[in-house]
Amino acid sequence: MKPSLPGASTDRRTLLRLIGLGATATLGGGALAACSKEAGSKGTATKADAIRSVLPTYKPAELLKPDIPGEGPIPNGYLSYPRELVDAVTEQPGRGGPAIRTMSPWWGPTPPTLGKNSYLAAVNAKLGVDVDPSLQDGNLYADKLNAMLGARDVPDILSVPNWEVDKIARFSDAVKALFEDLTDHLKGDAAANYPYLASLSTGAWEYSVWGGRLHAVPFPTDGPFAWALFHRKDLLDRAALAAPTSPDELYQLGKQVTDPAKGVWAFGSVFDMVQQFFGCQQTWRKRPDGGLEHKFENPAFAAALEFTAKLFKEGLVHPDTVASKGADEKQLFKAGKILMYQDGLGAWQGMQSEQTKVLPSFEMQPLPVFGTGGSQPVIWGSEKPIFFTFVKKGLGKDRVEELLRVLNWCAAPFGSREFELREYGVEGKHFTRAADGSPAATELGRKEMGAQYTHIGGRVPVKVRSADTPNFAQDYIGYYQKNIAQMEKDLFAGIKLELPANSSKIIQPTDDKIRDILRGRRPLSDLEAVRKEFLATGGEEGRAFHEKALADNGR
Amino acid sequence: MSTQGAAGVVDTPAVAPAAPPGRTRGRPRRTLRARLVRDWPLLAMAAPAAALLLVFHYLPTLGNVIAFQDYNPFVGDDPLDAFLHSEWIGFGNFEALFSDPLFWDAVRNTLTITAFQLVFFFPLPILLAILLNSLVSGRVRGLVQSVVYLPHFCSWVLVVTFFVQMLGGAGLLAQEMRQAGLEPWNIMTNPDGFIVLVTAEAVWKDLGWGAIVFLAALAAIDPNLYEAAAADGAGRWRRLWHITLPGLRPVIVLLLIMRLGDALSVGFEQFILQRDAVGRDAAEVLDTFVYYQAITTQQWGLGAAAGLFKAVVGLVLILTANRVAHRLGEQGVYSRS
Repeated sequence: MKPSLPGASTDRRTLLRLIGLGATATLGGGALAACSKEAGSKGTATKADAIRSVLPTYKPAELLKPDIPGEGPIPNGYLSYPRELVDAVTEQPGRGGPAIRTMSPWWGPTPPTLGKNSYLAAVNAKLGVDVDPSLQDGNLYADKLNAMLGARDVPDILSVPNWEVDKIARFSDAVKALFEDLTDHLKGDAAANYPYLASLSTGAWEYSVWGGRLHAVPFPTDGPFAWALFHRKDLLDRAALAAPTSPDELYQLGKQVTDPAKGVWAFGSVFDMVQQFFGCQQTWRKRPDGGLEHKFENPAFAAALEFTAKLFKEGLVHPDTVASKGADEKQLFKAGKILMYQDGLGAWQGMQSEQTKVLPSFEMQPLPVFGTGGSQPVIWGSEKPIFFTFVKKGLGKDRVEELLRVLNWCAAPFGSREFELREYGVEGKHFTRAADGSPAATELGRKEMGAQYTHIGGRVPVKVRSADTPNFAQDYIGYYQKNIAQMEKDLFAGIKLELPANSSKIIQPTDDKIRDILRGRRPLSDLEAVRKEFLATGGEEGRAFHEKALADNGR
Repeated sequence: MSTQGAAGVVDTPAVAPAAPPGRTRGRPRRTLRARLVRDWPLLAMAAPAAALLLVFHYLPTLGNVIAFQDYNPFVGDDPLDAFLHSEWIGFGNFEALFSDPLFWDAVRNTLTITAFQLVFFFPLPILLAILLNSLVSGRVRGLVQSVVYLPHFCSWVLVVTFFVQMLGGAGLLAQEMRQAGLEPWNIMTNPDGFIVLVTAEAVWKDLGWGAIVFLAALAAIDPNLYEAAAADGAGRWRRLWHITLPGLRPVIVLLLIMRLGDALSVGFEQFILQRDAVGRDAAEVLDTFVYYQAITTQQWGLGAAAGLFKAVVGLVLILTANRVAHRLGEQGVYSRS
């Protein structure tokens, strides 16, 4: 068949010309241009001082002394599960009000809904009011959230991850219009009515203030690092290969273990971790002469880009990672099809516990964080709470208090019956007790539980050893203690930033171009052009905005 | 073309008896009340469809006003208030849109893909329908039809995953080639071949579905025509050319015009899913542009402006194509009475 494409393309050109003419006419029309204005938010930054005056009074509520005390943002560790549990909440939180609709993120198969889920039934019976959760895929949470906020149709309780908050323009407008002002319920000593909410760290509460008012309950981070580079220690040990200690060794290791004929590749996504190895900041850092420098301007970024592009070019990255958005790297990693990939440290215990049942020798560990020969690594992280829990506006004082009592119940600490029910479900049904007394999830437990109560309740984070993850608590806290000194200081801690529309608009196009370089669709030398374009179309505006926010706060 | 006359001949007798008998112009009209009494069952039957149209098509159309606003969904007390209180900025959104080179990249990609698929996808369901129609065994035809319809009900996520599993770098084909000592082809991540890839995916998914309407049109062709032609000594190809294709022509033209009206939509999930694999330059279409530049950055006004642009272009194309169809003696989508 001889394609008649030339004819078609002529039509297309003609058409384009017509459209172009139309556009020019529109733009050229003086009358039209005269009454046009530019759209989009210019960004806002709330000062740190305004925030401090509305915070709840901190009152710790620790039931058990930790075996490994955490410091600062590192959670406490417990090496044994308590034999005796206590009742942390004596008064039933619910007063039999209507069902409480909630929405929170979950990364995994969706559990059954209210009415078909015995875990929800058990917890709701304790609460004295029905919680009716809607769990949404955490990776696609923004889609649901944008539509929901745009339509101003929110559930009674809404959990929003911090990284989504940063992406939503005019979020403070949304907060004011849609969510209850919790200041009078929780400010200062009033928080004593909700003792477990008062036990959440002040650092986490600081982030929950919008426009000078307390608008959310924070879900404090259980470790501030953004990423870790996990590797299959069991498989490397079997091949008698040591963990790498420099980028070059990482590359050599990648070449050694990649074997396409067996369907095994060394890497999944690693670029964020590679940047940290090369000592590149997450976004902005202070220049020695004052002012801010974007990471694209740091030579370390170019070096990390070059290194990672080499991994792609030499075929050391799994083709699924190359070919599709959000390839299921967890699945590839579990199956041993990739040996290294980056993930949040939160993925660790769940995967280890689940895989131990499939393959007893399974062992995943984060690689040590190393620098290049000449430079120290920089670890990205922040003490920002992971989620914020908002209460719908206009429900009335009694109902808001009922909801806060439910959140307080959901924040009950380790060592309490409430904690056990919330985290593990009902004994004999959702978990069984190992010889050492620690709970281990059953099939039903894995199926029915999706942090429906945990993700809305704040809770003081702890790491607990379990029979199927015997070394986890030490490993986890040890990793943090070893590396916390390398963590980059958050220049904007305690300042609430909302980016100007122009600088949030260029994020995706710039990411696209960087990805083109990574995948070898553009040469490395294009980075210079990408940087210039980025700065010209919104990057400089972003720099000025951030510098002003720092200056306003005297930093 | 000589077939035009034939089509006219077939049409005419079909139209004549359809004229309503017993109603002549000039007779005094019945009162509204009387007509309601007579027609209410018909009106009741049409009401749900009309309500659906009103609520889900006409009402949302009013929302297009935000194309001329710096729309902020959070001002005022309720969603309606937000429309009233958002700032009017005239053609600001359109200016931002038309001055953005990324937008024109997306439009160019979209139109290229539409043109490519018009040539390489659009005719295939017609061929399939003719092939299926020529099968004598009803059972085989039913089986083949079911098999080729089924992929239509797979979501794009499934289709793309399926292609990755089959043709991707770690897929079946690549692994077989490695076993055989060959260098695997780069199919899923080649920006230059992307347009062929997405068309192949679309064909796999929707070929059978697209053939349904043509099969229905084929069934409506009078078998006597074939018999008469065969008796006159017309061979297989002549019958195809002089009977089958003219019989299909009104449907083909109709669908072609509808497709042109949709020229600026080529799908969304298919492209967003494969964007990272081939890069923005190859995979950015108008809908993904709107998603990234308007929805994820909450510039609803800009998104509405892009939508309005799409609708206007679609309308112009439909009207033009329809007029051209009339000139050529076709019925088109609709005709003036």
